[in-house]
This record gives sequence, structure tokens and C-alpha cells, in this order.
Amino acid sequence: MTGVVKRVGYAVGLPAVLFAAWWVSTANSDNFYVPPLRTILETFGQLWTLEKLQADVWPSLWRLAVGYAIACLVGVALGVLVGSSRTVRATLEPVLEFFRAVPPPVLVPVIMLFAGIDHTMKIVVIAVGSLWPVLLNTVEGVRAVDEVLSDTCRSYGLTGVARLRHLVLRAASPQIVAGMRQALSIAIILMVISEMTAASNGLGYTIVEAQRSFAIPEMWSGILLLGLLGFLLSMVFRFVENRALAWYHGLRRAQRGS
Amino acid sequence: MLDVRGLKKVYEGRQRQVEAVRDLTFTIESGDLVCLVGPSGCGKTTLLKCMSGLLAPTAGEVRLDGVPVTGPPPGMAVVFQEYGRSLFPWMNVRDNVELPLKQKKVAKAERRRLVDEALAAVGLADAHTAYPWQLSGGMQQRVAIARAVAYQPKVLLMDEPFAAVDAQTRADLEDLIRDLWRKLGVTVLFVTHDIDEAVYLGQKVIILSSSPTVVREQLTIDLPDERDQLHTRALPRFTELRGHVYEQIQAAKRGAGTVDEAVCAAEGADDKAVVGS
Repeated sequence: MTGVVKRVGYAVGLPAVLFAAWWVSTANSDNFYVPPLRTILETFGQLWTLEKLQADVWPSLWRLAVGYAIACLVGVALGVLVGSSRTVRATLEPVLEFFRAVPPPVLVPVIMLFAGIDHTMKIVVIAVGSLWPVLLNTVEGVRAVDEVLSDTCRSYGLTGVARLRHLVLRAASPQIVAGMRQALSIAIILMVISEMTAASNGLGYTIVEAQRSFAIPEMWSGILLLGLLGFLLSMVFRFVENRALAWYHGLRRAQRGS
Repeated sequence: MLDVRGLKKVYEGRQRQVEAVRDLTFTIESGDLVCLVGPSGCGKTTLLKCMSGLLAPTAGEVRLDGVPVTGPPPGMAVVFQEYGRSLFPWMNVRDNVELPLKQKKVAKAERRRLVDEALAAVGLADAHTAYPWQLSGGMQQRVAIARAVAYQPKVLLMDEPFAAVDAQTRADLEDLIRDLWRKLGVTVLFVTHDIDEAVYLGQKVIILSSSPTVVREQLTIDLPDERDQLHTRALPRFTELRGHVYEQIQAAKRGAGTVDEAVCAAEGADDKAVVGS
């Protein structure tokens, strides 16, 4: 019981302190750009009604989900392909490294040119930008499949789809998940950026609009919401990861112990 | 049953060739338990990989029941030395043993029976839901043996399976193999570098020379079928046979280097070349 209390204490402690510090230091602020936290929270309650969440947060999250899912699927599929063949890898790797080095936000105007300014553009931007960590990590994971396990599979006739499913994807899963974690934060950034350039709804749009019309508390409340969303998504991610990779964490602990 | 004819394997490195196995010819009869022993680095693992269809020989061939082995044949199971790397860490013990059976399309009820029996036979009836990394090394190797047994192979190949477990566990596992062999009537080829182990386990011992490897001697072990660690090892005949194999291995060692290191170096260089380009 005390263990749980301790863990909750560690988790909540610093945020509570920071929050309190923000509250106190801005309590009497008359700086137009730094309104009191109380004002921001009041605005937060007024602005982010259920209706507003539906109108502006839902589209953002929906585009994020689709773009991120595409990035993960394509990244893993391509990664398996590239990782499994030396020839393909040797041919593609320099090109892939180049594309990864291009900062995704600069793709926004380019993708706008051929995908327009609607949902498709934003989804493409999210997918293209967050694809690389998944792809490159999958390649690494697939390459590192243990030789003895691989021989074991062959000798028991586990080839083709069975090998892919039971050996390659599972063995690479720790790296794949690491790639997906990086990809998630990139996807959130791109979700916001894609909405700042050309959009009529979305979280990023709301924040930029508020900023442009000097609705400063509204802007701050949007940033706050964005932070909370990112936090929530990473918690969900960690929960799923702990389930899916329980074997890996156990294995690592066992190896460290011995 | 299992015929090895003029087997030769040369590893092609970038700068040099390494001849791991020169010319091996021998036959293993159905139902036999043969131990293959040779000086360290004489290409035992190479030979076993060729026999299991995991590696294509440079020349010569392996035949299982008259059929040339070109890939892993269905009636064969292999137990590797590195138990920690041959079990799937993401599956529990039961799933590890069951997976090859699923692939073989064995019906569910039959699968359950085979897995239960195999795990009971290796003394792990109560470890079904454990993950391999929760078990000791000896127990992990038992799981790998159970997996091979459940697969119901005609031939069981074992590549120094007990080289990495402690001495007491090793003695237990040796008796387990003798037991399983007698119960199941499976043909076993057991590769080892341990002379005592070879003599204690085998009905026959094939002694290999140093690299480049040829068969130096095939020896029939005329010890009683009932063997146990205490009495069999104390028999004068055991000591004699052991001494004989030891002399052969010592003679084989004189005047030759080891292959495995050279092979690793050659393969390693090859790997790096690809990674770097």
C-alpha cells in the first residue's frame, strides 16, 4: 500500500509543484501575454466545451490516428522487406537516411501542392513525417534476429508467413515499438504544424487563431490542452507497450540478474 | 538410415578459404545412438549443420532414408548448444513446444497430448506457463529437448547440448537422453567435445580428426545397455574405452590448428563488407 502511495507521490509531486509555482507567480500578473493561471483555467473551462472538443479536437485526433497508423503499417512492412534482404538494404539505405534527414515540417508546403489543403494533406504530412523512425528501427530489429533462433525455425519447418509472424516480427518488436514511440511524438508535432498552415479546424488551428486575434488566455488554454493530450497518449502507449513487451522486460531483468 | 558420403565444406572468406570439413563418410543405422567426438574446432558444428540441411555442403551429400538432404528434412529435430538462444523468449514453455506441432498441422487434441507427454518426460510437467528466461539453463535445455521429442522426429541431432550447463545438471541430462532414446526408439546423433560424455552416452562413438576433418575411427561401445553415472563410469571397460578415445583425440590434435576461429574470422570479414557498403 505504501508502495502505491509512494509511486503516486512521485508521479504527481513535481507537476503539482510546477503548477503551484505557475499559479503563484502569475497570480497578480498584469502582463497581457502572461495572464494569471486562474484566468487561463477559467477560459479553459469556457472554451473547451464538448461542442468545441468535437469540432476542433476530434478532427485533430482523427487525422493523427489515421496518419500514425499508416506510418506504423507502412514502416513495419517496408522495414521487414528492407531488413530481410541484404541487396535491398544496400540499395535503399542511403536514400532512406536522406529522407529521414529532411525535417518533416518543410514537407507541408510541398505536400499541399499535390494533396490540397484538406484532410488528405494533413494525414499525408503526419504519415510521411513519422514513418522514418518506425521504418529504420524495424530494419534494425529485423536484421538483428538471432541466428540460432532462425536456424531453429528452419529446422522445424517454420518458414514464410509462420516465420514472419512467430520469429521476425516478434524478435524485432522491441525495436519496432521504440520506433513507434519516437514516431508518436513526431506525429503529434506534425498534427499541430499541419493545422497551422492551412486549416479551418483542429487544435493547432485554434491555438494559432487565438494567438493572431490576441486571445491570449485562449491560446494558453490550447497549449495546456495539447500538453495534456500528449501526456495522455504517451501514457496509453506505455500501457500497451508494457503489455505487449512484458516478455522483453522480463528477459532483460533476467539477463541483468544473472 | 542417415548416410554421409564424401562430405566437404569450404567456407569462402574474402581473403582466404577455410576448409572446415574435408571428406567425411559414415553411416548411422536406424535406432542407433551415436556420439561424434573430436578435438575442439574440428568442424563438428559445420558437419551437424550440413546434416540437418541448414548448410549446403561444398561437395558430397547427406541422405536420410536414401533421400538427399537439401534443406531441413521433416523427420529431423535439432537441439542446439545455445539453449538461451534457441527458445522463443516471447512464448511460454508450452507454446515453445507446441509451435512446431502447429506448423506440422497436428490436430489440437493430439498436440495437447504430445506436449504434455514431452514436458512430463523431461521433468517439466509443472512449468508449462513459465517463460524460458524464468528457468535455469538446465531447465531451458530440457524445454528444447521436450520440443524436439514432441516433434516425433526419426532423427534427433544434438550439437553439444550440455556444454553450457553445470556438471550435476549435465549428468542428469545425459541420463535423460539415454532414457528418451530407449523409450522412443529414435535415432540420435550427439555431438560433443567431452570424451567421457561420448563414451557414457553412445552405442557408437565416431572420432573425428583435427581440421581439415576426416573420420579417424568408428568405435563400438560395448558397455551394458543399462548405464548409470556411478557404476558405468567405474567399470574397467569404461576406463579403457575412454582412454582409447582420449589417445585418438590427442593424436588427432597434434600438428593442426583449429577451424572454428578461422571460420569466424572469414565469416566476420564477409559480414562487415556487406554492412559497410
